[in-house]
Amino acid sequence: MTLAVAILALALVLPVAAGPHLLTATIVALHAAFMALAWNLAAGYAGQFSLGHSLFYGIGAYASTVLYVRLGLTPWAGMFVGALLAGVVGTLLALGVYRYKVHGIFFALVTLGAAEVAKGIADNWAFIKGPVGILLTMQHAPRDFFFLRREPYYYVALAMLVVMILVSLALERSRLGQFFLAVREDEQAAEASGVDTYRYKTVAIGLSAALTAFAGSFYAQFYLYISPDTVLVFEPQLTMMLGTMVGGAGTALGPVIGSILFSGLGEALRNLPFLEGTRQVVIGSKMVYAVLLIVVLIYLPGGLVTLGQKRA
Amino acid sequence: MAVLLDVQSVSKAFGGLQALSSVSFTVGAGEIVGIIGPNGAGKTTLFNVVTGVYAPDRGRVVFRGEDVTGAAPHHVCKLGAARTFQVSKPFAALTVLQTVRIGALNRIPDMAGATAKALEVLELMGLVAKRDEPGRALTVMERKRLEMARALATQPSLLLLDEVAAGLRPNEIQDMIALVRGIAAGGVSVLIIEHVLEAVLRLSGRIVVLNHGEVIAQGRPDELVNDPRVIDAYLGEAYSLA
Amino acid sequence: MIGLDVILQAGLSGLFMGSVYALIAIGFTLVFGVTNIVNFAHGNFVMAAMFVTYLLFKTAHVDPYLGLVVVLPLFFGFGALVYALVIRRIVDAPHSAHMMVTLGLLIFLENLANLFFGGDLRGITTVYTTSSLVVGAVSVPIARLGAAAVSLAAVVALALVLHRTSLGKAIRAAANNPEGAALVGIDVGRVYRIAFSLGTAAAALAGAVVMPFSLVSPFVGGEFILKAFVIAVLGGLGSVAGALIGGLLIGLVEALSSLYISASLGNAIVFAILIAVLLYRPWGILGQARV
Repeated sequence: MTLAVAILALALVLPVAAGPHLLTATIVALHAAFMALAWNLAAGYAGQFSLGHSLFYGIGAYASTVLYVRLGLTPWAGMFVGALLAGVVGTLLALGVYRYKVHGIFFALVTLGAAEVAKGIADNWAFIKGPVGILLTMQHAPRDFFFLRREPYYYVALAMLVVMILVSLALERSRLGQFFLAVREDEQAAEASGVDTYRYKTVAIGLSAALTAFAGSFYAQFYLYISPDTVLVFEPQLTMMLGTMVGGAGTALGPVIGSILFSGLGEALRNLPFLEGTRQVVIGSKMVYAVLLIVVLIYLPGGLVTLGQKRA
Repeated sequence: MAVLLDVQSVSKAFGGLQALSSVSFTVGAGEIVGIIGPNGAGKTTLFNVVTGVYAPDRGRVVFRGEDVTGAAPHHVCKLGAARTFQVSKPFAALTVLQTVRIGALNRIPDMAGATAKALEVLELMGLVAKRDEPGRALTVMERKRLEMARALATQPSLLLLDEVAAGLRPNEIQDMIALVRGIAAGGVSVLIIEHVLEAVLRLSGRIVVLNHGEVIAQGRPDELVNDPRVIDAYLGEAYSLA
Repeated sequence: MIGLDVILQAGLSGLFMGSVYALIAIGFTLVFGVTNIVNFAHGNFVMAAMFVTYLLFKTAHVDPYLGLVVVLPLFFGFGALVYALVIRRIVDAPHSAHMMVTLGLLIFLENLANLFFGGDLRGITTVYTTSSLVVGAVSVPIARLGAAAVSLAAVVALALVLHRTSLGKAIRAAANNPEGAALVGIDVGRVYRIAFSLGTAAAALAGAVVMPFSLVSPFVGGEFILKAFVIAVLGGLGSVAGALIGGLLIGLVEALSSLYISASLGNAIVFAILIAVLLYRPWGILGQARV
């Protein structure tokens, strides 16, 4: 507990000491950790390994953006609309898919297919400017979830992450969370014990989808440009999965550790003053991650969080 | 005596194999009913149909007055029928306590209450010492007891046990018999599939004999032991019925 | 109004590409059918072979078809290496581990190619890259015809191996029932390794023969693996014949739909088909429904 407080205290003062590159790197890492935890909700706790979460990420990004551009609605509110929309889409998708008893790799492929279909539609949808994307010209800081300095973004990302960690911890201790675990471990046994697996799998996906959408909105407000090629591709999905699986799926801390390791390091390397964006370094570091990912998954299937834990 | 479970002419086929043919029997409140039969007789399939894992092709399953034919297994459990699996299905990564608590959460909505209930059941099943062990770390025997604990924690009115005595040593069989008797004495009716005839003959008030998916005989243990049809069904199995 | 000759041309083109897709998908589905592993990096094996073929041509003027003499054994061996180093260790792991590890392979290969070749699209021009035969109202591009012919020949060869050789029998046995196969003396690990190597070699063959008329970059792997997924599922995961039919079908759908709608929309339709198959008939066209 004291360790957590210490880390939080450190995190709160970091912007004071950090230069712009490090600050951006940590913002990216916090953002990645948030969405990893969102994916982890369904994949880590409930065992629903979705490959299509970019769909929900994209819904979040586009919802808050389009609502701002067309209606002037502040993204602070727009992101909640996005989350609701993503939650509804996720729930409907889940209701349909689970009705057909789709599991494992088949489930993963359906979700992947759904994300691909969404991208295809987005690329051809004039209302959201198709493949050209939407450039955000913000006017009122901070009313419109826009800041002139980088530090506020850091604090927003930090706050989002802290909330997400607390949500995960609360879930772990709740009845809902226990049912998620039962579904993950053995659906048949869970059903025989009174757990409505259809319902809880759907809740897992819906909840996870809604939370992922917040990350999409944050992305839009931070980078101020979205397009199908940035928010509806596999990249966000990869970020979520990498952090979670390497850090430790099904835990509140695992995805955070994994994401900070991958995203933070990557971003920092990209911006080191003396290696100033050397292509080789960036690419080489990705190769190192890939090897790290493989090694961890083979030798530490529970993720990095299991280091130093007693094995049963 | 109130009828708890009413299985009416249930039939189930898988592809070309007729697993169950017009199986009918009842379980009354307070009864221990045994189901015996050679391997492949359809006993576990019967459990699966009763608990909603499979919908029968024909026939009905009525539990506590409600038609649960083809209902979802979780619904059947909520109504009060809990089953164990022949090959234990523990929640591998969850602790013993967590596992049993999930069963308890079936009736008890709050975590504290469910935890208390789970500990109570673990006490009964002699698994309290193992409460923080993950399911995958348990021995086969412990997993069987965990299966029963999880099912009991759901507070069923009917407990369906699938071969819980298999692989037990003689003294363990006696313990199991005493355990099941104790559970029944607590007001839970029991439907028990067993190969270990000593256990099922001593526990059951009534026995249903299955062979090739059909009920070939029903009655009290002492009646069936001398029934030529039953003896005939077991001749190839080298069992002694005494 | 689009003329019949245009439709025929597109259809032919679709069948040609479909044959190559089929080969790629067959490599993928063979590995899944035998080892139960979904290899996300399969598309990047195609990409890698394309680059090797490109290199052979640019540095030593070796024709892609002649280059197969090098490419095929090289990638068969590469497949065996990847199996021994990585795949072997996750065979018994949950599906999520399969997906993540092979994704790791995908990322590794993509960045390896990026490191050496950079992100730009590259192509080669052989003597036959732009030649075609004119048959009636359609023009038959030699390069695509060759690719299709070789792909189909490889499919037939693979089918023969699977059904006429003892190795093939061992592979099918291990795919069907690994425990049973082991009990009758089949070295299941070796069979898995060979199946994986065959799958890799199939991907490599496809990569080599498309090089004369395609562009390669480190990022083309994604397209190939996505198509492989759709085709393999459509045909029935694990079914070689199914993947052949699926490949031809998808090739046709892709080519014909490009006449009327944008590529990205056509892509979306292909994935909608994937979803429909996964929901309503997950065992695919030629698979067996299981209770």
